[in-house]
Amino acid sequence: MRTLHRGFRSFRRNYVRNLIVVILLFICLTFSMSMLAVKLAADSQVETIKQKVGNFGQIQVSSAYRLKQFEAERQQTAAERAAAARSLTTAQEFANRVQNLVPEKLANQFSTDQYVQTYDKALEANVTVPKLTNTNMQQLFQLRENRGTESFGNAGPPGSSMNQNSFSFAGNTNGSSASDFTTGAKKLTKGKFFTYQDYKDSNPVVIIEKNLAADNDLDVGDTIEAQVSGSTGSGSTIGLKVIGIYETVEAQQQSQSSGSSTPNVNPAGNVFYAPLTVVQKLNATPGYVELGAYYFDSVDNTAALKAAFKTDAKGTGGKYELATDISDYQAIADPLIKARNTSVIGLAGALGACVLIILLAMIIIVSGRTRELGVLKAIGSTDRQVIGQFAVEILCICLVAIILAMGVTAIIGQSMGNWLLPKAQTATTSQQQNQGGPGFFGGPGGNNTSLYKEGSRFTRNTAQSEPAAKLNVVYRGSLFLYGILILIGVSFIGMAIPVFWIIRLRPARVLSME
Amino acid sequence: MEASTILEVEGLSKKYETKAGSVTAIDDVSFTAQKGQVTAVVGPSGSGKTTLLYVVGSLERPDEGKIEVVGQDILDQEVDLVKYRRENIGFVFQFFNLIPTLTAIENVMLPMDLAGVPPDEQHARATELLEQMGVGGRLLKSRTNKISGGENQRVAIARALANDPDVILADEPTGNLDTATGQTVIAILSELAHAEGKCVLMVTHDESIRRVSDRAFHMSDGRLSEISNHD
Repeated sequence: MRTLHRGFRSFRRNYVRNLIVVILLFICLTFSMSMLAVKLAADSQVETIKQKVGNFGQIQVSSAYRLKQFEAERQQTAAERAAAARSLTTAQEFANRVQNLVPEKLANQFSTDQYVQTYDKALEANVTVPKLTNTNMQQLFQLRENRGTESFGNAGPPGSSMNQNSFSFAGNTNGSSASDFTTGAKKLTKGKFFTYQDYKDSNPVVIIEKNLAADNDLDVGDTIEAQVSGSTGSGSTIGLKVIGIYETVEAQQQSQSSGSSTPNVNPAGNVFYAPLTVVQKLNATPGYVELGAYYFDSVDNTAALKAAFKTDAKGTGGKYELATDISDYQAIADPLIKARNTSVIGLAGALGACVLIILLAMIIIVSGRTRELGVLKAIGSTDRQVIGQFAVEILCICLVAIILAMGVTAIIGQSMGNWLLPKAQTATTSQQQNQGGPGFFGGPGGNNTSLYKEGSRFTRNTAQSEPAAKLNVVYRGSLFLYGILILIGVSFIGMAIPVFWIIRLRPARVLSME
Repeated sequence: MEASTILEVEGLSKKYETKAGSVTAIDDVSFTAQKGQVTAVVGPSGSGKTTLLYVVGSLERPDEGKIEVVGQDILDQEVDLVKYRRENIGFVFQFFNLIPTLTAIENVMLPMDLAGVPPDEQHARATELLEQMGVGGRLLKSRTNKISGGENQRVAIARALANDPDVILADEPTGNLDTATGQTVIAILSELAHAEGKCVLMVTHDESIRRVSDRAFHMSDGRLSEISNHD
């Protein structure tokens, strides 16, 4: 206590000299703390972004393969292609059918990687439901007819296998995790979702759109007959029990907000949601999916996952690729990372300046008080007592400086963050654009735990973009703790000079220099 | 050692290494100093007086010799020299060497504070000592850079007496004072020896001081010889 008292008294009595040191330290510490605040904020926000973006990947047929395939087909005439199609064996026909699909086995194998947290598999197929009318397609056909083009009646547009009984069937392993539902674009209004168990058991169930159900007088519990692709005769259809009805929220909102009295065209409607295994049957492509979608733990493991995929896909000749949303992550996080890196450099520089100031100040202070040190030792002060006194004095200097610095940092921290954040940063890309895949499943939500590791394939709507990065420099507890650490560190370094000086000081030598 | 002998020095030598070579500051010095006496060491500047005082005060270590203070060999490696200085020695310097940021009373309290004396006791004793030295009243709380040289030296003497040491080592105590003030300071030191039984060892180049001492030594080129304390 006495040492503390002496040190504090000495700090108070030497106020002019100490004030100068406090001011210098305060300036450097304010800069240090601001840089630290920016760094902590950037780190925190990068981590938050990591939880949302950059941790998604999907296995799909590579764009290079698709291009190659397209080039090969372009070399053939229509007649050659027709002749080739006629001469296909059943096996060749199947191979043709699945050439743009991913083997389910590959998707499953990749899911066992240690970094994969959730995954889903998806397949979208055009399926004919003979007794239902696709209201969207019907409007399209009507439009063509009104324009006087060739009438194709019940047949689809020329060159297309689509007709007004064609519907899009979206299959995955858990209905509730389809992104249309998780993002709120669509909402189940009646019945229930199909489950992972439905997928496992290939239960013939389906979720249909509300308007479509009304138009076709369907309700939960009814059964519809869907045609298995490429199959004719008895047993060529599968009876699907309607277990849920959904409405398209986005379409309704658009209609309401515009105040239009025109009928709702319901552009997102007429999509059936069914278990993946059912859609595979209807598409006649068992064991194949359009893509496997994965959430992994962090963008930091993207490289490891790419390497793991390369091993898994060995021998497929580069036909499949693992597309991730790392570019989205980079677009959003890069400005923050740059700001963080700049702040780290600033922090290091400012702390270096703090150390320099405290060292120089202590050299000046101690050398100016050599006689005092000599007297203290001569009258019976131990080295520890003298050092303690100086330690308290230095601690007081640093404490005042850092308290002021913390206060000012709370005021200017955000400005520093804005100053450091690169101006030309925007992040409006979407995962959809980067991945190139269809986007109707998504979001975490499933409850099953075996194959389906609570999560799903996920893609975002192209209209949905990431907000531009903004650095919110908030005063957090960790900053206070770091401030104390800096205080102790700077004080400790500042102590080095007096300690060295005091231990080496010979009072007789000092007192002799009159 | 006689009963009244407090300080006994025998065969003390000290050399300094300089760029010009080795300089002998103290050369085979032996003497004793008694309780209740003022012992003066006079000699010209550079004769080794201050070095002798610092060696006796354990601020310097001699190359050879033996120093016994109150029967204790202070050159024994096991002796805690800081404690020894704190309990047995009181220093009075030519330039006072008071802490300028402290008041008169705080300067006097400092050695007691270092020795762990309770604050109340420190304050009472410091006040008593300063009043005894004639530096009481408002001067108690005056910064030492605000009071005169004579008052400063009295504060320094009070500080030297703070822990009630047996030996007072005074290095040119009048060197920075005018004649009248110097005489007052010498009178105070004599009083301390004669009335309070302190052993006062004073080194000075002022030949007149030997006349007020009980024993006098002359120092020249590091050698010490006893001289008469009378004209």
